[in-house]
Amino acid sequence: MAEFITTYGFLIVSMVFAAMLALSLYLPLMTGQLSLASPGFYALGGYIAAVMSTKVFPPTPQGEIFPLVYLLIEMLVAAVASALLAVLIGIPALRLRGIYLALATIAFVEVVRVLSLNLEITGKAIGIFGIPQPFLNKFEYMWIAAPMLILSTWFVYRLERSRVGRAFAALREDELAATAMGVNPTYNKVLSFTMGAVLAGVVGAVSAHFLNTWNARQGTFDAAILYLAFVIIGGSRTYLGPVLGGLLLTALPEVLRALAGVEFLPAFVAQFLVDGRLIIYGLLIALATIFFPQGLITPTMLKRLARRGT
Amino acid sequence: MTTPALDIQNLTVYYGAIQALQGINITVYPGEVVTLIGANGAGKSTTLRAISRIVKARSGQIRYDGRDLTALRADEVVRAGIAHVPEGRRVLARLSVADNLFLGAYTRNDRAEIQHDLEEMFRRFPRLAERRAQLAGTLSGGEQQMLAIARALMSRPRLLLLDEPSLGLAPIIVREIFEIIRNLNSTGVTILLVEQNAQLALQNAHRGYVLEAGSITITGEAKALAGDERVKKAYLG
Ligand SMILES: Nc1ncnc2c1ncn2[C@@H]1O[C@H](COP(=O)(O)OP(=O)(O)O)[C@@H](O)[C@H]1O
Ligand SMILES: [Mg+2]
Repeated sequence: MAEFITTYGFLIVSMVFAAMLALSLYLPLMTGQLSLASPGFYALGGYIAAVMSTKVFPPTPQGEIFPLVYLLIEMLVAAVASALLAVLIGIPALRLRGIYLALATIAFVEVVRVLSLNLEITGKAIGIFGIPQPFLNKFEYMWIAAPMLILSTWFVYRLERSRVGRAFAALREDELAATAMGVNPTYNKVLSFTMGAVLAGVVGAVSAHFLNTWNARQGTFDAAILYLAFVIIGGSRTYLGPVLGGLLLTALPEVLRALAGVEFLPAFVAQFLVDGRLIIYGLLIALATIFFPQGLITPTMLKRLARRGT
Repeated sequence: MTTPALDIQNLTVYYGAIQALQGINITVYPGEVVTLIGANGAGKSTTLRAISRIVKARSGQIRYDGRDLTALRADEVVRAGIAHVPEGRRVLARLSVADNLFLGAYTRNDRAEIQHDLEEMFRRFPRLAERRAQLAGTLSGGEQQMLAIARALMSRPRLLLLDEPSLGLAPIIVREIFEIIRNLNSTGVTILLVEQNAQLALQNAHRGYVLEAGSITITGEAKALAGDERVKKAYLG
C-alpha cells in the first residue's frame, strides 16, 4: 500500500484535479458557451495561493506543516477573485458566439500568461518557488481534493436537475425559444461562466501547493484543449462525462507505461507504449470522436441504467 | 369601445440596414382573436418578436395594459402576461416534454401552482401526458405544436402570440390545432395569430391585418377581409 501511494499518489490527485477542470469547462457549456478560459482562472487561483502562502501569511516554522486554515482562506480568495474577474470579462465576451467566444477566451488565457511573465508579484519568468506544503505527502492532498470533487460533482448534478439548470439547457438548445420563455440569456450565460471560473480558480489554488511551484507554464492554451478533450470524450451532455473523462484520460498515459512493463512484450512494442504515449492518446481521441460522437457517457445511457436499477 | 389590450403605434424594426417594419399600427382588444396575414418575408414574425422583445424596436410604441413594452426585457414581457409561440414551434428537442412545460413556467415562482398547471396541461393535451418523460424531439409535428402551445400557456398568459401554428402540419392536425386555439380564446385568452394560410386564419379570427413588405395595407373585420377583392386575389387564391 505504502509503495502504491508513493508511486501513484501524485497521479491519483492529478486525476481528481483534471476531473474538476473538465467540469469547469463543462459548466459554461451547459448554456452552450464554448469557453476555453478555465486555464486562465486556474493560473490566477494558483498565483493567489502562491503569493499568499509565501509572502502574506507568516512563514511556517521548520518541521511544521502549512496550516490547512490558510489553504482554505486562499481557496476562498481565489474563488472570489475568479468570480469577480469572470463577471467582468464575461459580460462583454459572452455576446460572442461559438468559435468567436472560444478565441476571445483563449486571448484571455494568453493575457494572464503574458502578465504573469512580466509582473514582479508573479515572479516573472521564474515564477514562485517553495510553496509550503499543508500535507506530508502528495497522496494526502486527497483529504482536500476528494471532498472538492465530490462536492463539485454533486453541485453540478443538482444544478442539472434544478430550475436554473433547465434554463441553462434551454439556452444551449435554442436561445430564441429560451428568450421567448423569459430566460435571460446574458444573466444565465454569465452565471454558468462564473461557476466554471470559480471552480478552476479554486483548483488552481490547491494545485499551486500540490506542485510546490507556480509559473507561467501553468494554465496555458494547450491545457484548455486537454480539458476540452476530457469533456468531449467523456461526454458533453451530462455532469458525469467530464468527471470520468478527466479521471480516465489523465490516468491513460500511466496505464500505458505500466502496460509497457508487462513481461514477454516485444521490445519495440514496449518502447512504443512509453515513447508513443502522445500518439496513442491522440489516436484514442480521434477514435472516440468517431465511434462515440456524444462521448462515452450519454444522458440516454444514464437513464437506461437508472431504470434497470429500480 | 373598451381600451385595447395591445396597442402598437408606428412600430419600425431594422435588421442591420434592412428595414423589416415601416411604422405599423395594430390594435388588439381584450378577448379578441386578431390575425396578421401576409406573404413570406412581409414582417409578421418580426412584429411578434418586437412585442416579446426578442428583437429591438427602432421607433414607435407597443403598449400593453397601459405599459410601454419597448422599455421592458423579454422576461418582463412574459411576466406582464404575454406568451409567444415562435414560428417552427422550437420545442427543446433534447429536453423531456415535462421539462419543456416547466420551462414555460420559468418566470413563475409558485411551485405548487406550477405543478397544478402541469397536470392541467396533461389533462387538456392527453397525447402529451402519455409522452411526458419522452424527449420533445421525438414527438410528431402536431404533438410538437401542442407542446409549444402548452408550454406558452404555462406562463399563464392573457395575450398569446401564435406564429404560423399550421406550418408544415397535415390538414387534420391543423383543424385540431385551430380547435385548441378557439377553445383557448373562449376561456378568455386574447390571441394575436400570424398565418400564411389566410383562409384558415380569417375563418378563426374576429379581425385581421394584411402586412405587405413591412407595412399594413388592409385591415378590417375578418369576414369583410375574406370577401375583399384584393385579399382574395393575393392570399385566398
Ligand atoms: N434575423 C434576421 N436578420 C436579418 N434579416 C431578417 C432576420 N429575420 C428576418 N429578416 C428579414 O426581415 C423581413 C421580415 O421577416 P419576417 O418577419 O421573418 O417575415 P415573415 O414572418 O412575414 O415571413 C424579411 O425580409 C427577412 O428577410
Ligand atoms: Mg414568419
